[in-house]
Amino acid sequence: MNETEKRSFYESYSNSCHWIGRIGLAVGIVMMLGAPLVMGLALGTGPDWGSAIPALLQVAAVYWVSSIAEFLVYAPLLGTASYVAFITGNLVNLKLPCAVNAREICGTRVGTPENDIVSTLSVATSSLVTVTVLAVGVLCLVPLTPVLQAPALQPAFNNVIPALFGALAYKYFFKSLRLTAVPLVVMCLLFVLVPALLSQVSILILLGGGIALAVGYFLYRKDKL
Amino acid sequence: MELMERLNSVPMFLIAGAVIVMVMVLCVIFMVKSYRAGIAMGMEKEKLRNAITSSATFTLLPSVSILLGVIALAGSLGIPLPWMRLSVVGALHYEGNVADIAARAAGMPGGLGTAELTASTFVTIGFVMAAGIILGCVLCVLFLKPYLNRVRRPKKASAETQPSQKQGLGDVLFTAMFVGLVSTYIGSYVGTLTSTGDWMPLAVAFVAGLSMAVFEYVSRKRNITWLDNFSMAGSMLIGMAAAIGLGAL
Repeated sequence: MNETEKRSFYESYSNSCHWIGRIGLAVGIVMMLGAPLVMGLALGTGPDWGSAIPALLQVAAVYWVSSIAEFLVYAPLLGTASYVAFITGNLVNLKLPCAVNAREICGTRVGTPENDIVSTLSVATSSLVTVTVLAVGVLCLVPLTPVLQAPALQPAFNNVIPALFGALAYKYFFKSLRLTAVPLVVMCLLFVLVPALLSQVSILILLGGGIALAVGYFLYRKDKL
Repeated sequence: MELMERLNSVPMFLIAGAVIVMVMVLCVIFMVKSYRAGIAMGMEKEKLRNAITSSATFTLLPSVSILLGVIALAGSLGIPLPWMRLSVVGALHYEGNVADIAARAAGMPGGLGTAELTASTFVTIGFVMAAGIILGCVLCVLFLKPYLNRVRRPKKASAETQPSQKQGLGDVLFTAMFVGLVSTYIGSYVGTLTSTGDWMPLAVAFVAGLSMAVFEYVSRKRNITWLDNFSMAGSMLIGMAAAIGLGAL
């Protein structure tokens, strides 16, 4: 295959990847949004839309912004592998490092057809391995369900979220202490001085995120990060 | 039948399984397609196989840590929903946080796990978890093709430089967003301590953070890179175990 043939072949490969990816993701989106609703039908109930919409707006304010940033930043690195990478999740912490690792092993460069192919192979393989490990793990987990529901273990499950944010605090705070100082102090003071706000944590994420974004942008512009 | 039994019933597993199978099929199609394209374009089979085996081995340990995430959420939401969420679009830090936001909005003022779960709250949580992270997929459906054409075509050199130029500010804002998010939660634990005297959330967060620090220290000091894959889920499980011990005091 000469260069022209190669380019033309890649063009047609890429177009068919876009076609399959678009249809696959569109079906996936419908199934993923529909699954909890179908689970609701099986349980004989539906979502409480009065709660779901405000909660979704709070989540969207944080995660839709980061989804846009992830799309703009990582899609050019992954090429058509983005379809599989975005629908299988764990993008930043697993799929991207995995694709970069495969790229280094195969010696391909970002933006080339070869890189698209290696990234797609890598991300698809990674996703299949994750799904398989989880499926096997869940099969083993079912017999353990009574143990997981034991009253003695409930304090552990009641504190999943503090455990999550404790671990994340170390990870993100120590990434940039300059970025952390202002939002952390402001949010601590706010909750200490106005305890009534403790029932509004999910709304105040917007304030904390806004302060951190403003500080981040300021420090970035001043070359302090 | 109690709600948790219904959440772990066969129909719920079938619904979650259907979504997972659909995503697996998509992965297999892309895998076969890209392998064949690589061969057709003259790439060495050895290289392509290396890409597959290195990706499989690279993923194995993090997948076990994702499984620990399913275990962590299974006590509150049953097994099928966390299984589905963490097999497809989700990520551990996202799922726990969004489940908590939805739980608070749906009538658990103290957050996920602080009051008895109802079927409607469960469905609300599941829907918000799904819809809250779907935007990346929507953007791919609508804009990936034109976006890739735009960033790659104008100048040959720009295909290499464009991503790295954006990554600077993108990374800062991405980190800032999470710093703000985590600051809010840690601030709320400090506020809970000063206003109600309940020190458990702050103590658990502290133990989990300390565990994370130890994981990272050992990983760097001893150059055990695979340990990084377990640091998040491991720290969470240590923090959760501490809650049992501290609660007994």
